[in-house]
Amino acid sequence: MSVDYDVIVIGAGNAGLSAAATLQRGGKRTLLVERHNVPGGAATSFVRGRFEFEVSLHQLGGMGGPGPLREILDEMDVTRRLRLIQDDELYRTVVPGVLDVTLPADWQGAVDVLDSHYPGNRAALTRFLEIVRDVGLWQLTARANLHRLKEQVEWLSGLSDVRRYGLRTYREVLDEFFTDERLKFVLSSYWSYNGQLPSRMSFMDMARLLALFIETKPYQIVGGSQALSSAMLESFLEAGGEVRFNTSVEKIVTRGGRAVGVRVDGGETVSCRLVVSNAPSSTTYTRLLDPADVPSGVLRDLGSRRMGPSATALYLGLDAPAAELGFATATNFLTTDLDERTVARGMRSLEPAPFLLASCYDVRPTGFAPPGASQVNLVTIQYADPWEAVPVRDYQQAKSAYAASLLDLLKAIAPGVRDVIEEAEIATPLTFKRYLSQPGGAIYGFDQDAMDSWLFHEDDLKPNVPGLVLVSNWVTAGGYNSTIVTAARLCRRLLAVL
Amino acid sequence: MSTSTNPLAHLFEGADDVVAEIERRGAAGADHPADAREEITPYHPKVLDLTVAEVVEETVTTKTFRVRRTDGRPLPPFLAGQYISLHVRVGDVLTSRAFSISSSPAALDHYDLTVRRLRGGRVSNHLIDTVKPGDRLTSGGPIGTFYHDPLFHGDDVVFLAGGSGVAPAMSMIRDIVDHGLSRRMTLLYGSRRADDIIFHDELDAVAREHRDITVHHVISDPGPDWTGEVGPLDAALISRLAGPLAGRMTYLCGPPGKYAYLVRQLESLGHPRRRIRLEANSVALPPPADPRWPAELDPEEQVTVTVRGRGSLRVPRGRPLLDALEDNGLRPEASCRSGECALCRVRVCSGEVFHAEEARLRASDRQFGFAHCCVAYPLTDLEIDF
Repeated sequence: MSVDYDVIVIGAGNAGLSAAATLQRGGKRTLLVERHNVPGGAATSFVRGRFEFEVSLHQLGGMGGPGPLREILDEMDVTRRLRLIQDDELYRTVVPGVLDVTLPADWQGAVDVLDSHYPGNRAALTRFLEIVRDVGLWQLTARANLHRLKEQVEWLSGLSDVRRYGLRTYREVLDEFFTDERLKFVLSSYWSYNGQLPSRMSFMDMARLLALFIETKPYQIVGGSQALSSAMLESFLEAGGEVRFNTSVEKIVTRGGRAVGVRVDGGETVSCRLVVSNAPSSTTYTRLLDPADVPSGVLRDLGSRRMGPSATALYLGLDAPAAELGFATATNFLTTDLDERTVARGMRSLEPAPFLLASCYDVRPTGFAPPGASQVNLVTIQYADPWEAVPVRDYQQAKSAYAASLLDLLKAIAPGVRDVIEEAEIATPLTFKRYLSQPGGAIYGFDQDAMDSWLFHEDDLKPNVPGLVLVSNWVTAGGYNSTIVTAARLCRRLLAVL
Repeated sequence: MSTSTNPLAHLFEGADDVVAEIERRGAAGADHPADAREEITPYHPKVLDLTVAEVVEETVTTKTFRVRRTDGRPLPPFLAGQYISLHVRVGDVLTSRAFSISSSPAALDHYDLTVRRLRGGRVSNHLIDTVKPGDRLTSGGPIGTFYHDPLFHGDDVVFLAGGSGVAPAMSMIRDIVDHGLSRRMTLLYGSRRADDIIFHDELDAVAREHRDITVHHVISDPGPDWTGEVGPLDAALISRLAGPLAGRMTYLCGPPGKYAYLVRQLESLGHPRRRIRLEANSVALPPPADPRWPAELDPEEQVTVTVRGRGSLRVPRGRPLLDALEDNGLRPEASCRSGECALCRVRVCSGEVFHAEEARLRASDRQFGFAHCCVAYPLTDLEIDF
């Protein structure tokens, strides 16, 4: 039967681009359809005045050494199109008046720094980080080799720490090793990279994040995440792929329960043998498809998933050098107190922000600010509901008030920022909803607690509807490394059977 | 365990608890919000269907069009200083223009769009000559970054307006008055002649009644009756009328050709560039006036622009790509038409474009060939895609 394309990819986000480039380079005639005028989804940037602003990338993991993302982007012929800058440090964590610790991206270095701040913990730290490393590397490796299941079962059977700690909450394991709340707090800093606080995040997921960034080092990209997404698009196009921007997919067309194409706005139907959806799972299964075509088990599984958090961000263009403002580290976590409940409340309310991540893109300049100036993003994790509750007319005022609270909190590490603001732009969960078409403005897909683990959702990456697979942070862990790598690996395996 | 559990999961302590919790959640069932786009429409509608309710003749050259939502619902909220992009058909050509809203953000039953005749301006003349009450129009939603940001603009601001550039200033003043904001605003408003002054009576009345609002009219071509200030609006006059500028955000809206001069005047008073904000509403130096334009390339000479999948057109190098596309019935989305908003971004597959100074491109756009077609000019034969 003749079809217009072998594959149609819906959405040019990170995972969609990764899938499209992998399939086209593997010889499949691929059409990529994107509703915006530019690739990337959240992997993008925008300009105000003299400044360019990174939208979503804080630190790129997986690029150093034999990192998983590096391997995929090399294979995709993308790495050579990028200029990468390695961060000097892993992160700085500050609770005003309580702690101020900067960790290096190095296992032994982290032990040394933490032991110097919190003496008497060296042995526990060494053992703890060893487990973190083992569990993290296990997860990164296991996911690449799921098709060799027998081998994997054998390997995991011998990894008693991984089996013992993997599914516990990160908080439980911290409590087993340490008593000093400050030490536990510093070791929990990356919670915002998957949106779950330590008492809800699985040890496995935090271990994966720490292992990823310590083993493969955190990086920045010159030109930001848009350079990465544009480079993936370029590779796709050079391989002969076709892209349609400014085009929305309205429906996935099915015949006899099988996905056979898409209908785009304007009514045109384009046929294919495989549809790859970079749209959210719930959108794909309940809007793009007629739910009657979706197995009941998939719909029931959707019902068990919880909507993940979004973010509120204040993008700042500052008329002063980073060092002068107090930014010596690219990644800075700042929280008002040690109590996790404070942050949990902040995620569901518009009270003054209790937590922020300040990313400075000019500690080693990425080219976003003119010489002598700097670009800083203040981001906090929030669910959409408190913002959805604000009446439309009061929304702007609520945005300004919330942004002011972020600036207040920032004073603890960079007191002079308010005097040198040249540009400021605020994004709320509603903004992410608007630009990314993600339900709830979710930035990491579903809530990523242990119940969301891929260990319990094998079907996420299967063609539950024949002729259709999903790629995105709704079917794998959030983050650049995870979404790009998972999509590429899935599509490599599809190449063998298509 | 459920069929979707990976066999590796069994090897973990606590796996049964996780499965039980998943089943509990599944039984409880969660409804996921369905359509992000639909939910966001009240804040950011893509298209507004408008009806002209009233046309007010402000001056010989200027009219205010009061528009309401055709279905009678309130218009979306906006920030004083923002604009809407009005879709306009002139003859056979469907195009758009950005107009600052001059009405108060306190009233959402209408927007006022204040339009001045531009010499040779296709759209402004068309609107002023033909649009009458009862006519239907469409537009995009309110947009733009030229507004007072309480985070860092401060409570004492200065506005230098020229001609119809007073429209956003009028909205800001109405905002202060209607919402009782504690903000001082000093307007230095330049017009050619006294009878060119838009909102003359209202501005003077507001300035009389509100001590926080100060208005100075500056006339460049005064008649014998004029007793007020006379231009040019240079550093000395700005300083005398506005007083010390330290700490005061200064807004500029008027003919873009004047911006470079005014910024120099302000900077000569020691005012830092970061405290000056411009509303870019067109290109200040279209080719070949832009000194960066390659001298050997004749702006009148035509090149071929091919739009992937939609045919080719012949275009003089000096014509903005967006206008050339619209002339030929091809319409990329567009809003600001002055290089900022990025809605008209196109991919340049081959060939070279020249971008006006106003183009707010990202670093990666240059590397990977994206153009803002409203301020991009075809230097060579091009293939573009959008």
